[in-house]
Order: sequence, then structure tokens, then C-alpha cells
Amino acid sequence: MTDAPAAVEPLLELRDITASYGTIEVLHGVDLVVPPGSVVALLGPNGAGKTTTLSVAAGLLAPTSGGVYMAGRDVSGVKPDELARKRVVTIPEGKGIFPNLTVKENLLMASYTGVSVDHIERVAFERFPRLGERSSQVAGTLSGGEQQMLAMARGLAVEPAILLLDELSMGLAPLIVEELYGIVSHIAKSGTSILVVEQFARAVLGVADTAAVMVNGRIRAVGKPSEIENDLSAAYLGA
Amino acid sequence: MDKFLQFTVLGLSQAAIFAIAASGLVVTYSTSGIFNFAHGAFGMMAAFTYWQVHVAWDVPTWPAFFLVVFIIAPLFGAFIERVIMRGIEDAPEVVKIVVTVSLMVALLFLAIAIWPQDVAHPVGALVEGGQLEIAGVILPNQRLMIIGVAIAVAIGLWLLLKATRLGVAMRAVVDDRSLLQLNGGRPARTAMMSWAIGAGLAAISGVLLAAEQPPSAITLTFLVVNAYAAAVVGRLRSLPGAFLGAVILGLAVSYTAAYLPSDASIGSFSLSGLPRAVPAIMLFIVIVAQPEARLRAHTTIRTRVVGVPTQRTAAIGALVLVLGTAAIGSMIAGPDLPLVSKALWFGLITVSLVPLTGYAGQVSLAQLTFTGIGALAMAEWGANGSPFAVMLSIGLCALVGAVVALPALRLTGIYLALATASFAIFCTWMVFSQSSLLVGGTVSVPPLSIFGWTADTQFKQLMVTAVAFAIIANILVLLRRSAWGRRLTAMRDSPVACATLGLNLTSTKVGVFALSAAIAGSAGAIAGRSFVSDDFGLTPSLQVTMLAVVGGVGSIGGALLGGLLLGMFPIGSSVFAANAIGVFRFVTVPVTKVITIMPGFMGIGMGRNPDGAASDIARSYRSLIESVPASVVTAIAFAILWISARLEYISNWDFFAGVLVILLAVMPLIGSILPPPGVQVAGRRLAAGLWLVFALLITAVLPWETLVESNGFRILLMLVWAGVVASIAVGVHGAVDLEALGLGTDTAAEIESPDLMGFGTEITRADAQLAARAIGLDGELDRPDTGSTAVTHARSGVEVGST
Amino acid sequence: MSTLEVSDLTVRFGGNLAVSKVSLSVAGGEIVGLIGPNGAGKTTVFNAVSGVITPTSGKVALAGRDISKLPTYKRARAGLGRTFQRLEVFSSLSVRGNVQVGLEIRKSWSRRGGCDRQYLADGADLSADSEVSLILDRLDLLGLADEIVGALPTGQARLVELGRALAARPSIILLDEPASGLDENETTRFGELLRSLSGAGLGILLVEHDVGLVMEVCDSLHVLDFGTVIASGDADEVRQNAAVVDAYLGAGT
Repeated sequence: MTDAPAAVEPLLELRDITASYGTIEVLHGVDLVVPPGSVVALLGPNGAGKTTTLSVAAGLLAPTSGGVYMAGRDVSGVKPDELARKRVVTIPEGKGIFPNLTVKENLLMASYTGVSVDHIERVAFERFPRLGERSSQVAGTLSGGEQQMLAMARGLAVEPAILLLDELSMGLAPLIVEELYGIVSHIAKSGTSILVVEQFARAVLGVADTAAVMVNGRIRAVGKPSEIENDLSAAYLGA
Repeated sequence: MDKFLQFTVLGLSQAAIFAIAASGLVVTYSTSGIFNFAHGAFGMMAAFTYWQVHVAWDVPTWPAFFLVVFIIAPLFGAFIERVIMRGIEDAPEVVKIVVTVSLMVALLFLAIAIWPQDVAHPVGALVEGGQLEIAGVILPNQRLMIIGVAIAVAIGLWLLLKATRLGVAMRAVVDDRSLLQLNGGRPARTAMMSWAIGAGLAAISGVLLAAEQPPSAITLTFLVVNAYAAAVVGRLRSLPGAFLGAVILGLAVSYTAAYLPSDASIGSFSLSGLPRAVPAIMLFIVIVAQPEARLRAHTTIRTRVVGVPTQRTAAIGALVLVLGTAAIGSMIAGPDLPLVSKALWFGLITVSLVPLTGYAGQVSLAQLTFTGIGALAMAEWGANGSPFAVMLSIGLCALVGAVVALPALRLTGIYLALATASFAIFCTWMVFSQSSLLVGGTVSVPPLSIFGWTADTQFKQLMVTAVAFAIIANILVLLRRSAWGRRLTAMRDSPVACATLGLNLTSTKVGVFALSAAIAGSAGAIAGRSFVSDDFGLTPSLQVTMLAVVGGVGSIGGALLGGLLLGMFPIGSSVFAANAIGVFRFVTVPVTKVITIMPGFMGIGMGRNPDGAASDIARSYRSLIESVPASVVTAIAFAILWISARLEYISNWDFFAGVLVILLAVMPLIGSILPPPGVQVAGRRLAAGLWLVFALLITAVLPWETLVESNGFRILLMLVWAGVVASIAVGVHGAVDLEALGLGTDTAAEIESPDLMGFGTEITRADAQLAARAIGLDGELDRPDTGSTAVTHARSGVEVGST
Repeated sequence: MSTLEVSDLTVRFGGNLAVSKVSLSVAGGEIVGLIGPNGAGKTTVFNAVSGVITPTSGKVALAGRDISKLPTYKRARAGLGRTFQRLEVFSSLSVRGNVQVGLEIRKSWSRRGGCDRQYLADGADLSADSEVSLILDRLDLLGLADEIVGALPTGQARLVELGRALAARPSIILLDEPASGLDENETTRFGELLRSLSGAGLGILLVEHDVGLVMEVCDSLHVLDFGTVIASGDADEVRQNAAVVDAYLGAGT
């Protein structure tokens, strides 16, 4: 693809989102933009509302006010399965796979997007040969890293327009995290817009074009990763 | 040896049918989370439909079979899922159980109404009558065919679940519903397919059974009890487990029938019912063998908090009930009195579910079994009607209840429902069929006798029931307001938190169950009339549970309403005995048949609202209770009406019409016309009040009994009149809180999400470049005013917080 | 004073090792912090210690008595209390009702109608009502006593959970993110409350993401990462530990 022009419109945009669980409001006006082909990292301590923000973007949670826009279209209130069929791929935190299905069966479930099973398997096994070796193994018995690869394979194979990733690094060794983020950056280069939620990871800062720090249901700072790294460590360790 | 092999084959062919039925249960339960109590009823409907198609309409065997099994039944299953089950997947267990039980009862009576059971409906064999003989063992073709079908079903299901996207998605839903959605799958559609498949499997088992012997609606409907004994072996979720369970069960049933002498007995206790009780026994054993369920974390159930009446309110309510019963009872002629008495008596049984279902959130489907045990014990021990024997009978019920419930209560709610249902069936075959206990199939409970006063007339019996109800209601309110009642609420809100405070959940629940069984048993002990064994069967127990929930099992008033509703049906049947509803002359349905179907449909409709009907009704009467002048005026109106009727100034029909008008028109409205202090109401209060008084006078002097011929139409007319009176009063008054009357415009209907994503087009990467231009393309599409409708699937289980 | 001893606790979910050989101890009067990144296994440790899940191996002992095989309610009776990260309040009861139920349940199993462990009233003998009021007072909840808990904001609801757990008079209490949802002032006061409870002899194991609070109130800290304890010590030692910084920010690139 050609270089994106400087003032291109965002592919994913959250405008002044408020959201609640029951009567408790957890997002108090979140604005966030993900331009085409870029990686935006959403960081912040536990309970800041990062996962909720992602759920709103994925259609799992309808915002109480504000709007979700994809490619300029207002999609707030659209169901998650409809978004998924339009190549908006969400990989939720720590459970991006069906533990009682085999690797192949997991990949079969990605075919609702309209991509053929053959294509999905080819892309997945090419990128992750280890999954190919374990194609008939039950996913729950894979190692944590392999499980995350399986989840990522789905994101890769259906060539998403928008990829929403939650806590990719959770419970994984640094080397694997690095490998996974290498893939994220690769997907982004091919034009996918990516929103990554992470609580603690330096790795994501290496691939992110933009990082946003979230605290108590609000975006506190947005900038280049290098600009906000110092704020981050203060936010976490309270020093 | 030959006999052994012969019965092994018989057992295996029965196992095959159980396996097919059980696998259908497992498929629907594991994908939708709803245990379909109506599964057997599905099979029963299919069997009769097969009769209709094959015998009545003369379609050849196999086309008829395929039509029923592969087209009609799956469509029916999908329809049921779409119309009834969708939306209750995340509802409390009580709602799921009551809705499917109601469906079962509704289908049962529907089938009886369509295909009268006094006529046999033989469907004939599916295959030619021949047989194979191998080494002296006779293998009838029919049996071999059944076993073959079961094997085909097993292979078919295996292929479906392993090799098709639909099947894999059905398993994926079990793993993670919301992840399937994030993959683009549609859990709702998957659930619909699983119900279609489940119904198809129920149909196969139903038709196969019908081919063995002419179908009977009740027998086929309760086939499900056998099937769930098999399904429980696979913990309701494993197909191989269900097949294994079916084989064990089929063989056990067959061998028991083969080797148990027909006159076997222990002392005078006959064992002749044992073969039929085997599934229930097996279910019980399997439940005992299950490991204890893990602690359940908080589930967000939003039920309206039902206000607990104060002890004073409860005492006043009890007094009003007793006086009201006396007043009405003295108006009613002898032959009708038992019907009224029975309605109130049912209230006593429905109220037994208040602590268990209303407070603790558990379901029992065997309340009338406990009533039966109470009745038998009283007949045995209390020939003189002594209150001491009543106490003893009640104690026995509590004890039996505790023993029955203990193993199931360690598990989740569905197992208690299953265990109680099989206990009901067990008792039907093993206890209520004992000729030594029920001589000639009937048992006579002696009337209560206290200090020489004996409840030997119908009126006295009615008063005994009313007083018993009043006492029990007050005890329940007392308990509810005590530390114990608070603890039950706490346990329903968060079982895991109670455990971390040191509460033994199982023993607490056993206590509640014993209390519930004791109350149900007390109804038997004080009944003072005769019963036949059918009175204590599973079907009436199911109706009791259903209508208790319909009325509103969270409160005593609600449960009483449920019991009265149940009692109303026989009254309705006797009033409308001669009436029928004609539909364009094609079909004429006697009203009595319609009435038998009604409870089931009420359960389906109202079971979804766990607060019950009573809380809705109570809201409209609340303003009355809060306003002293309004309640005084209402009481005076009732008193005048009753005295006029007693002194025969007006007829009993006028009295009845007056009561209806007061209940339906005066009472809901007068609270807003004579408001409680501090409440301002606008409108022409005086005019509306005068209209109500005037309308009541007209009601009382109208010659109702000569107005129309039929009793049924007379009552309909009265209801319409009460409605007219009420609406004119609302019109005149103008400022009535419509919502308080339950007439509010509560249209928070679910709206399908719009297809905003692009009218068939996809977001592609090209869109990234086009995104700038895309802005402003739409944005005018209507969408629901988004409340916070989280689509996230509420996951129960051990997830007590995530790290 | 009794001590909670957790040794070699291991929890496996399917193939995943959620908690691996975690050992720690909490003595009466001590506040021990358990911190670590998201997904490190803190709540799993709590669940295994309180008996909500069954650990794969390892031992939990309270006051020298092995409670590893006991069901949750018996562990509670042995003196172990806890709160939950995802609220487990009795949402249809009032604030007072919640604490009252805690006390009533305790009275139902405690033979003497109460036990010696009592941290709020300096050992004074109290009627049930005044004990409830005292607990509410100490948690600043007296003003909200008659509110239905389901309608309270998270911060207050968490305090209700703590109050309810205290009403059962545990000797050791596990607190899972008790301060989330409290504002800065409330957090400071909450820290003081924890201090005074431990001063009266209560042992506290604290999981909390507000690291400032943890550093301030804890006598010692354990840092959990990938289900294992990667560092232990007091606040300063932990703050300086390179492994901890890596665990929080990811291995340096």
C-alpha cells in the first residue's frame, strides 16, 4: 500500500464514550482514534477501564452515550457478531480460544467471516508451524504461548480491517510476547488498524505508533510512546 | 440362560430408546443451558402426530416417519426456542425450570384434548414382524431396528459435532458464548438449531416407543424421567455418558422385570411397582455419587425486592382471611363448598414453596408427594383426628424431605428439581400403589378433632383450612423477619460469601427443604377428605409449582393467589361444563378442555417473570392499603353487601357480582380517590367516587340470574361489567396513575441492531484510504437508545474475581 | 495469636500453571501485601487459601492446624475471612443487614455466641446490635446503614464487604482489592483503619493495586509474577528489586 497521507481519517474512533455496568459508570467520556494502518496502545493500571473501552469498540457493551465510528460509520449498538463478520477481529483477554475444541476446530470458527477454512489453516500453519503440528490437539492443553498464537492466528488469517487486542502479554514469557508483537507490527504494516490494551508491557511500546494512558475511566495522556514512558512507571508504582 | 439373553436384548432395545431421548436432552441442555423438562412431551406430540399422519391420513410408514422426525419435530423445536426459550438462557434456574415444566404440562393436556385418551391410537410396527434366531436367542426385527436406529443416531451426532461447522459451533457456545460472537458466530441461531435437533431426537424416541405399544400421553411424557436418569450419568453434558447411562438403565429395568417375582414383597410392603421405579432409583444413586458442586459466585439477578410484611400486617391479613372465608363460605351452597375449600387448600400447598423457591431459590416438583405422605401418615396414626397425629405426620414429612433433598442440594438447582421429580414417580409406584395403605386405591384422612370439636362438616373443614393457612402464613412471616430469613436472602444473593462467613450452605438448604415438605405435608394431614393415588402424582405437583410461581412465590399473598388459581380451574370446569367454543363450525372445543390447557400456558407466559403476577396486582392495590379512609370505605362496602345477601335482600348472584365489582373496579381505584395523607391527586374525585357507589348499587340490584341462562356467560358478563365500571371511573377521575394499575406503557422492547456496517459491503483495507470520504455517508440511521445492554454472557462458575 | 501458613501452594487449570509453589505466612497483627501484574495469580491464591477452589498441591495451615482439606465454611469457622475482587455483597439487603448477617452466621456456629477475636471494641462485651453499629461506625458507614447495598457505589460496597467479614471475627483476613473505588481521602483513612485492625491483633493479607497504599501499610510484601513469588521483603526492598520493575513494565527491550 502507499504511504498513508498525513491527515487520513481514523478507521476506528470512539467519541466521548460513557459506559456503565449496571448502575456503576466506568467510562466517563473516552475519546480515542486509531488511524488506518497504525497501532495504538491503550495502557493503564488495573481497573482503569481499558478492557471496557475495548468491549465497547468490539460491540460487546453498548455505550450509554457517545459513539463508536468505523470508517466514518456510526456502529454503536451493532452486535459483535455483525462486526466480526465485517472483519473487525477482537481477541479478548486471556480467553481468545475455545479450550475444549481442537486447534483445527478453533480455526473453523473463524470461517464465519467468510474466509475459507483452507485459507485460514494455510495462513495459520505457515505463520505458526507449531500449531500445524498440533492441529488435532485440544486447545486447552496447549501451552499459554501456543494458545495465544492460536488466538492470533485467527486475527491473522481473516485479514482484519480492525484488530482489537486485549492483554496479549498476559501470563506469557517475555520472549513469546516479543514474538507476538512482531506479528502485530507485521499485520499493521499490511494496513490493519490495531488497538492494543496492555497493563504492563514495554514490548508494546516498541510497536505502537501512539500510546494512550488511561486512569479511572478517562484518557489521561496521549502521545508517542517515548513521550509517555516516564509517566507510566510513575502511574504504576506510585512513586 | 436363554431368558437372560432374551431380556438382555429387550433391555438393550429399551436402552436404545432411552439413549436417543437422553442424547436429545444433552444436546439442548449443553448448548442452551436450559434443561428441557418438556422433552418427553415433544416425543409424545411427535408420536401422536405420527399417528395422525400415518393412520388417520394414511401416509405410508416411512414417508410419515421422515415427515414427523425430520421436518415437523425440528420445526417445532426451533419454534419453541425462538418464541419461548430465547431470552431465558440467563434467567434464574427457577424460571427455566418453571417455563419448561409448564410447556410439558401444556403439551400434555393439549395432546389429551386433541387425541382423546379413551380411544387407543395404535400406529403399527415400523418393520415387518419377522425375527432372527441366533443360538436359540430370538431377536425380533423390531428390536434390532430400534438398536440400529440408536447406533445411527450416535454416529450421526458424532459426525455433526465433530465434522460440521454447526456442530463445532454448538460445542463452542458451551466453551465461550461471547467469544463465538466475536468470531462472527450467532449463539442464538446455534441454540435454535440445537433445539431443532433435540426435538428431532425426542420425536424418534417417541415414535419408536409408540410402535412398541399404542401411545399414552402421560406415559410418553414422563418418558423423560427415564431419559434424564440416563443423562445424569453424563452429568447432563456428555453424550457418551448419556449412552452409557441408557444401557445401564435399560438393562436394569429389563432384568428387574424379568427376575422380580410378581408377588415380591417385604412384609406387607409390595414390591410390584419396582421395575417402574428403577429409573428414579438409579437417578437418585447417580446424584448421591456426584461430587459436590463448586461454590457459585455472585450472579446478577435483578428481581424486584419484595417487601416483607410486618408481623402486624400479617396478623391482620390472617384475620381478614379467616373472617372473609367464613363470610363467603356461609354464602355458598353445600355441593359447591368442597370446590372452594379445595382452592384454599391448594393455597396451603403453594405457600409451602414460598420458603423454598421464593426465599432460597430452589425448585421442588414433588410437593403433592409430601402432601400424600402427610395424608397417609394421618390416616394411619390419627384415626381420631388428634392434633398430635397431625404434628407427627408433619414431622415425618420434614424428615423424608430432608433425606430426599440432602444429596441433590449439594449440587446445582437443576438436580434438586430432577431428584424431586423422580421421588414423585418413585412414590407413585412404590408408596401410593400399596394396597395396604390405600385400600381400593383411596385413602380417607380423618377430620381434625380438637378437644371434642370435630371438623365434620364441609364448612368446618373450610375453616380448618383457613385457620391452618393463617397460622402457617404468620409463622413464615416470623421466620422471614428473623435472622434465618435474612440469611436465606443473603444465601441467594451470594452463596460464596456466606460460605466464607462460615455458613454451611447444604445444611441450611436442607432445613428449608424440610420446612417446605412439612408445610406441604400439613395440607395432607388436615385435609379431612379422601384421596385417590392420582391426586399425589407428578402432574398435580408440577401444576402446583407452576402456579405458585405464576402467582408470585416470593410472597405469601402471591403463592395464595397461585393456589386459588389452581383451585379455580375445577370450579371453572364445573361452571362451564355445558359450554363449548366453536370455531367456524369446523371445530368445537368444550370449554372444560380449554381450561385444562390453561395452567400450562399461564406458566409459560408468566413463569418468565420471577416476581409473579401477585406483585403486579399488589402494586395497584397498594394505594388502597396506605389510605385509611379508602380501606374503611371498602370494608363497609363489603359488609353491606354481605349483610344484604345474608338477609336475602339481594340474591347470591348479586352478591357475587358485587364482590367482583369491588375487587376489580372499586378497590384499585378508591385508593387514588381517597388518597393517603400527603398525596395530592387531581381530577374529579367526588364524581368518580359517586359513580363507583352508584355502579355498585346497580350491580347489587340487577337480576343477574335471570339476565342470561348459562352460569358461565353470567360470570363473563359480570367481569365485563366490572371492567366497564372501572374504565368509566378512570375516565371521570382523569388523574389515575396508570402505571400503578399495571396499564403503564412499559415498552422497553428489544430492538434489533441495525445493519450499519455497510449494506452487504465489508470494511476492507481500501476503506482505510476512503475513510475520509466515508465520513458523513450516514449517521442518520435509527438505532436503539442504548441503555447499558451488555451482551457479555454472564458466566457462572468459580470465577470469583479474576486476577 | 494465630498464623496463616501457606506452603508450596500450586494450582493448575487444565494445562496452565496458574500458581506455582507459593509459600507465605501471615501472623496475627501483621499486614502482608501480595502484589503483581494482572494475571499473576493473586486472586487464585486467595481462592485456594479460602477453599473456593481446590489447589493441585500444597498446604494451608491456620494456627498450626492443617485446613487444606476443609470446605470453605469450615475454614471460615477456623478463623479465616475474606473479601472479593468482584463484589460479593448481599445486594438486596441493607448495609446494616449485610453486617448483621455476618454476625448472625457467626453466632450460629460459634458455641459461645462469640469468640475472643474482636478487633474493634478493645475486648468489650457487646450486644449484637451495638457490635453491628460499632463496625458500621468504624467503617464510616453509619450514615448509610439503611441503604440497600445493591445501590451503593463500589467503594462503599467494598467497605460493606469488609464490615461483614469483620463481623465473623476472623483471626486472619484476606482482602482482595479493598480500596478500589475509594477516593484519595477515603484511601488514607482506609489505610489507618487497616493499621488499627492489625494493631488489635488481626492478620491481614492484602491484594491491592493501589501500590501507594500497599507500600504504606504493609509490614512485608510478596511480589507474584507468572504464579510464582519473584520477590519478598519490605516496601523499599521490593521497590528497588530489578525483577519487580521488569515484571511490571515487561522485560527491557
